[in-house]
Amino acid sequence: MSTTPLPAPHAAEFTLPERYATNRSGPGRWLWSHFKPHWALGLMLMVGAITNGALAAYVPIEIGKAFEAIMASPPQTELLIGFVWVIIISQTVRSLLQFARNFAAEWLGQLFERNIREELYTNLLGKSMTFHSLQSVGDTMARATNDVREINLMFNPGLNLVIGAAFFLVTPIVASFGIHPALSIIPMAFTLVYFVAIWQYLKELNPVTAKQRNAFGTLNSRLSESLDGIETVKGMAQEKLEVSLFRRNANRFREAYIHQGYIEARFLPMLLMAIAQAAGLWHSLMLMQAGLITLGDVIAYFGLLALFGFPVFTSLFAYSQVSLGVASARRILDLLNNKTDLDQNAEGYSEPMKGGIEFKNVTFAYEGHEAALNKVNFTVKPGLTVAIVGQTGTGKTTLAKLVNRTYDVTTGVVSVDGVDVRDWNLEALRRQISIIEQDIFLFSRTVAENIAFGHPEATRAEIEEAAKQAQAHDFIMEFTHGYDTVVGERGVTLSGGQRQRMALARAFLTDPRILILDDSTSAIDSATEDKIQRAIYAATKGRTTLIITHRLSQIRWADLIVVLRGGKVVASGSHEDLLKTSPAYKRIFSE
Amino acid sequence: MGFFSGLDAEQYDRQYSDKQLVRRMAHYFDAHMGKLWVIGLLALSSAVTAAAVPLLLARALDELGEQISPEAIWLVVGVVFLSGFLSWATNWWRRRLTARTIGDVILTIRLDGFKAAMSHDLSFYDENPSGKVVSRITSDTREYGDMIVLITDLISQFGQALIVGAALIAINWRLSLYLFGMLPIVYWIATLFREAARRTTRTGMRAMGNVNAVIKETISGIAVAKNFRQEEAIFKEFDHGNQSSFDVNLRRGFVLSMVFPALNALAALGTALLLYVGGMNVAASVITAGAWYLFLQGLDRFWFPVLNLSAFWTQLQSGLAAAERSFALIDAEPRVVQVGKQRMARLRGDIRFEQVNFSYVTGEPILRDFSLHIKPGETVALVGHTGAGKTSIAKLVNRFYEFQEGQLLIDGKDIRSLDLTAYRRQLGIVSQVPFLFDGTVAENIRYAAPGVKDPEILRLARKIGKGEWLETLPDGLKTEVGERGARLSMGQRQLVSLLRVLVQKPAIFVLDEATASIDPFTEWQIQQALDMILSKSTSILIAHRLSTVKAADRIIVLREGRIIEEGDHDGLLAQGGHYATLYNTYFRHQSLAYVEESRKLAK
Repeated sequence: MSTTPLPAPHAAEFTLPERYATNRSGPGRWLWSHFKPHWALGLMLMVGAITNGALAAYVPIEIGKAFEAIMASPPQTELLIGFVWVIIISQTVRSLLQFARNFAAEWLGQLFERNIREELYTNLLGKSMTFHSLQSVGDTMARATNDVREINLMFNPGLNLVIGAAFFLVTPIVASFGIHPALSIIPMAFTLVYFVAIWQYLKELNPVTAKQRNAFGTLNSRLSESLDGIETVKGMAQEKLEVSLFRRNANRFREAYIHQGYIEARFLPMLLMAIAQAAGLWHSLMLMQAGLITLGDVIAYFGLLALFGFPVFTSLFAYSQVSLGVASARRILDLLNNKTDLDQNAEGYSEPMKGGIEFKNVTFAYEGHEAALNKVNFTVKPGLTVAIVGQTGTGKTTLAKLVNRTYDVTTGVVSVDGVDVRDWNLEALRRQISIIEQDIFLFSRTVAENIAFGHPEATRAEIEEAAKQAQAHDFIMEFTHGYDTVVGERGVTLSGGQRQRMALARAFLTDPRILILDDSTSAIDSATEDKIQRAIYAATKGRTTLIITHRLSQIRWADLIVVLRGGKVVASGSHEDLLKTSPAYKRIFSE
Repeated sequence: MGFFSGLDAEQYDRQYSDKQLVRRMAHYFDAHMGKLWVIGLLALSSAVTAAAVPLLLARALDELGEQISPEAIWLVVGVVFLSGFLSWATNWWRRRLTARTIGDVILTIRLDGFKAAMSHDLSFYDENPSGKVVSRITSDTREYGDMIVLITDLISQFGQALIVGAALIAINWRLSLYLFGMLPIVYWIATLFREAARRTTRTGMRAMGNVNAVIKETISGIAVAKNFRQEEAIFKEFDHGNQSSFDVNLRRGFVLSMVFPALNALAALGTALLLYVGGMNVAASVITAGAWYLFLQGLDRFWFPVLNLSAFWTQLQSGLAAAERSFALIDAEPRVVQVGKQRMARLRGDIRFEQVNFSYVTGEPILRDFSLHIKPGETVALVGHTGAGKTSIAKLVNRFYEFQEGQLLIDGKDIRSLDLTAYRRQLGIVSQVPFLFDGTVAENIRYAAPGVKDPEILRLARKIGKGEWLETLPDGLKTEVGERGARLSMGQRQLVSLLRVLVQKPAIFVLDEATASIDPFTEWQIQQALDMILSKSTSILIAHRLSTVKAADRIIVLREGRIIEEGDHDGLLAQGGHYATLYNTYFRHQSLAYVEESRKLAK
């Protein structure tokens, strides 16, 4: 396993050699550091855009010349073919360059998408569980998929059109200067006013678009909640309430939608272009009247002004696309820069574990919250089983997760074999501790691969042996493909009890010194319950076990029972002790 | 860009004809007929003003030539400005009206869709997963709003093209043939490109979908990967997907990057052709210079409508398919039908099934000739294997489903003759997986009885386990439960849903007991809350817990939709019949005796 720590900007649990280092101090710098290795594509994009814009001027100019030639008396028809060839050749070359521009933008977009996704993903793998447990999967997914996609789109169509269109603003200015220097005044004025108008337009539009998106989000989430809870809605006869809620949300969306429509309808650059065309026509006709330019020049000039159509129409979405891309870059960067507390501590203690656990004055608080655990003390000798009991929200799960450094204590010490867990080599610590979580996650792979997840070299015989010990062999054999059955996404095809026994089989295979079992399954029938009990008893044998459980029989027979309430240990001892000292405990053991 | 839209559209099976759909959609615009006419007129007039510029310039070119008077300059410039301004202004007005009309129509259809969704009974939701219903109400309605915008834009573009086209034919039909002859070629090439773009888009989307699926799965399962230090293996899988998505999408980008350059080159060829042929004709005095100018301009006017047309059919089809999905939701026939609207003051809670036959699917009977009388205030527990009919009995009392034969009487009245809303207000229902709505704990408790005040809720909450459970909520009754109650534990959700019933004070209580495992301390509090409800209502319990079964006045033992035993726990157990079997299957492990014995299993 290549886990050699590299000089990375943040300590991480997992690192890989990077393609190139990136600067994460701001979205602009970060995007630039992704761009630098691909500067050649950027050059191709710019060259394509400039030449594409410049060559576009040939069509109106040659048309102007053609009118000049034909309207002369006598008409100079022999010149016509020359203009035709100039148009054909210049425009064919222009197409090739336009293709180069498009494809360079596309290529950059795809490269950015791939590399940023990879950077983000590697970074996510390196972050500690402190980060992952607080970050919702949905939110992380949104950034890893939509936001990465937005950055791709920022290049094409976004920047591709912004840059391409920019040269369609420059071309008329330069080309009209060639016809008569004075004629460049109107294109220049238009360009200036155009930027002001676009800026104003976007400033007005962006908050409304955001409002529309939010309104849609609210509408959608309440709607799907009402429909998922349709039985409750109907059972409580609250259809009318839901309809009025829906009406309110849908109406809010309607207002935002109409408001956005109004702003888009007013789109001023289109009016500006009409004004520029009229003004340009006037100006050129005046010059013609003064004998400074010809009629052909007027036609050419009017054709040049039409080139503004491209920047005007693309600006409807190209600029927003770029600003969306930058916003996405910022969101991704936030995630990348999110500090992660644990490091691999490669030089730490890494002896074989015996399994003694001690909590000394342990207090733990999630960032910005009240303490979830408060001055917890207890000691477990190697090989014993501890049941941790209490209501939801009393800190049971948090307590268990301090042992393998899923989280680090705020104050106090958790030690394993007398060594503070923070002084252990993280790899050695975690390899010898197994956690079976409440919500057991199975990958969409075969049953055998899932069991052998922590120990990929295991033979089929070893896997089956582990499954037998975990009482999982029987139900696995009932699947059509036995151990080669592919588990559905999120393990949907297996019941909670079956998933738990799969996880236990995993643990048997890796044979950890400490097993932490967050057990919240319930057996529908007594025969299954027998199996679960057998599997758990077998798993606790020969190792230290912390078990968070609702099962009275597991509590009853544990060597040590720790009762938590509000993050504090309110009682601890053996079953017999607690029956005497804790009334709450006694109550749950009375029928 | 219209040309690239709808590349990833899917095909759907259609049941309504296009004509039916268009008529239905038109119906929603009835209230906006006035606005619609104005929109249509505006679209046409903006076409006229836009077409006016080239027509006018062509005319001016012929009439005035180089010897132009200052008055004529002002006239030409004035008309050019005016038509530019008018086409902007009519566009503005049209788009405002369109936004308003579509906003209103979407709102109406959404409301119709949602009301329909609320009125459908549960058999509808068995067949239609709620996620699909959601997208019918939100996305589908939006999609055909977009279609309307597209149609009005296309009307305006084609109007413009048609006016210019008519002028060109009038001037010289032979030269027009050069122009019109080119259009089918453009359409054909555009269609070819769209087909290629569509194919590559599909594979591109699929490849991207694969990477996203890998990310989603591995990030969801990150804890497992970290526990077993398998980050590297996971990364390899991701890397493979990411790389192949890059390859496929770059290929797609290659095809898409060619489209506009190719069409531009084609347009330049067209211009060159018209420039040459037109110029020769002018020289031969067949047409005027103005006409020549108009032909060159005409190419531009036709180019975009033809391009957009190549994408139009796909969009139209997907808009119609979206409309169809919305209408199918609205049109679905309800199966639960009330024949009367009797309002009952306070129910006594007398429930009588008389020879009821019920099935969800025809041919698969669940209840057969089922008769049962539950007396007011009685607590009845239903037990039996899965599929024995326990849940069905509860759902019929809730009137969630329609039964086929027999009678169901509530206080002696046919359940079909009752006012459903008024009846359900007196029902307290707790489903197996308690459902909470986004909001606070207090708001959820108040859901069925909005008038209840906080102090009353607090008083009841404190009666349960001396209010110990409130301690476990970070902000007490003001705690936000999150979407679907996700931020609360199962036990907390059950307590909230029981409190919801407690404040509602129903005459009849129907409980489908949860099977989820709850910590023993919370379990004890749930038991207390349950006892408080049972003492005040007629109760039907689908029992999964031993303590609940024991608390019942009468246990009804069901098998294949029939009652085969009834009595109390001790009596039935002593009989050694089906109940004893059920006890050994489902309840034995919940007894304290089992706890003491369980140590032996380890051996």
